Amino acid sequence: MGGPEWVTAVNLIIWTGLVLWISRLDRKIRDLERER
Amino acid sequence: MSSSWAAEAAAVFVKDWRCELRTRHAVATLALFALTTLLVASLVLGPIGNDAEMSRRVVPVLVWLIVLFAAAAGLPRAFVHEEESRTAIALRLAARPSAVFAGKLVHIATLVAAIEAIVAPLAVALFDLRVAAAAELVAALAAGGLAIAAATTLLAAIVAQGRGASTLFAVLALPVLLPALALAVAATRVALTGVAEGNLLTLLLLYDGSVVVAGFLLFPAIWNP
Amino acid sequence: MKRLLALSLWLWMAVVIWAAFHWAPLAAGFKGQSSRILFFHVPVAWVSFVAFMTAGVESVRYLAGRRDPRHDRSAAAAVELGQVFAVLATVTGAIWARIMWGSYWNWDPRQSAIVVTMLYYAAYLALRQAIADGPSRARLSAAYAVLGLVVSPFLYFVLPRLGFSLHPEPVINAAGKLEVESRMLAVLTASSLGFTVLFYWLHALRRRLGAVAAHRDEGVE
Repeated sequence: MGGPEWVTAVNLIIWTGLVLWISRLDRKIRDLERER
Repeated sequence: MSSSWAAEAAAVFVKDWRCELRTRHAVATLALFALTTLLVASLVLGPIGNDAEMSRRVVPVLVWLIVLFAAAAGLPRAFVHEEESRTAIALRLAARPSAVFAGKLVHIATLVAAIEAIVAPLAVALFDLRVAAAAELVAALAAGGLAIAAATTLLAAIVAQGRGASTLFAVLALPVLLPALALAVAATRVALTGVAEGNLLTLLLLYDGSVVVAGFLLFPAIWNP
Repeated sequence: MKRLLALSLWLWMAVVIWAAFHWAPLAAGFKGQSSRILFFHVPVAWVSFVAFMTAGVESVRYLAGRRDPRHDRSAAAAVELGQVFAVLATVTGAIWARIMWGSYWNWDPRQSAIVVTMLYYAAYLALRQAIADGPSRARLSAAYAVLGLVVSPFLYFVLPRLGFSLHPEPVINAAGKLEVESRMLAVLTASSLGFTVLFYWLHALRRRLGAVAAHRDEGVE
């Protein structure tokens, strides 16, 4: 297993992906709400 | 409503026991399950009370499993027969929700107490149990029994109201009862071995009290759509 | 506006992640670097509790108020998310248990308690599934969620402290004093805050999605 830098990097990648994905969901829901 | 709250609650209690004594359905189911499991356990295990280690590890949980099993089999119909026999409407008119809850709670509590009154002495006899603190044992049985009664009364009401939810009683009840039973088992162990383990009964009674209070607060919403 | 919040949250947790592995010290008594998992395990477990409490509060609002379906949707959303965070807590805890004691599961009181909690709220979701009528479903599951306000604190805070446990001492010990080194505490708190905000963001999204679906089904405002 890599050192702390490697683990930190992996975590940051996962976290960034998560935030981007949730933001996308947020936008989709806003679209659904607007067309109501 | 001219009658007092206490009178209404008492009337519900008396009615439930009258019905029960006429049909003897709940009592019979409770007794059947409790005695069968007790006898099977006794046949297989023998007088394990002689063994101190067994007394400590196996007996407490065994006793409570028997009580729980009997209760789960015999108690949940407490509200269902009201709905089925259409007496529920009359009950709603005749008494306040909190009085109905109180009457039913005491009724179920006495049923649980009756089962424990049969199971406990029989268990002591069949397993040849040495009880270090009899008063503690009674207290543990009472506190644990109250937990079963309070949770059952509330959850049976929920299950009876939701059509199609009757099979869910055990699913709903298990997580509510687990913490109480864990405490009751530990308290029973203390009563049998005489070795103290902290303020278990206090915590159990706290839990009981909280569930009862929650029951009183929630029952009106459950009972009246 | 929303974008700024999302960006801030991202930045906040990015710093937390960095701090967890580079700035905070290791905890005594933990094998190797494994204490770092605390900065994720503890907040996630805490957030599951927050989620279940939110469900209870929303359920009280539902029952005590005008039976607004929005509170019902909010409660259900909170329970779903609570389960997700509870699973995360269980998994991170199991990973850590494997490192420390060689096995993923030890029937440690704290591990058992979180399982019972998940059973409780699985029952909540099962109850909702079993009742077809909207108002009845909302009313009865709300009652169960309010009962959860009593049962959950017991499961999270009382039960795990009984009996022998492999779990390390809780952060706030019996005397109410803080047992943790200040840097660790800072990262722990910051992480908890970040995860809490994340929960409320996800909760809001779930609520809004539920509202859209409900309006689609009923065709009413």
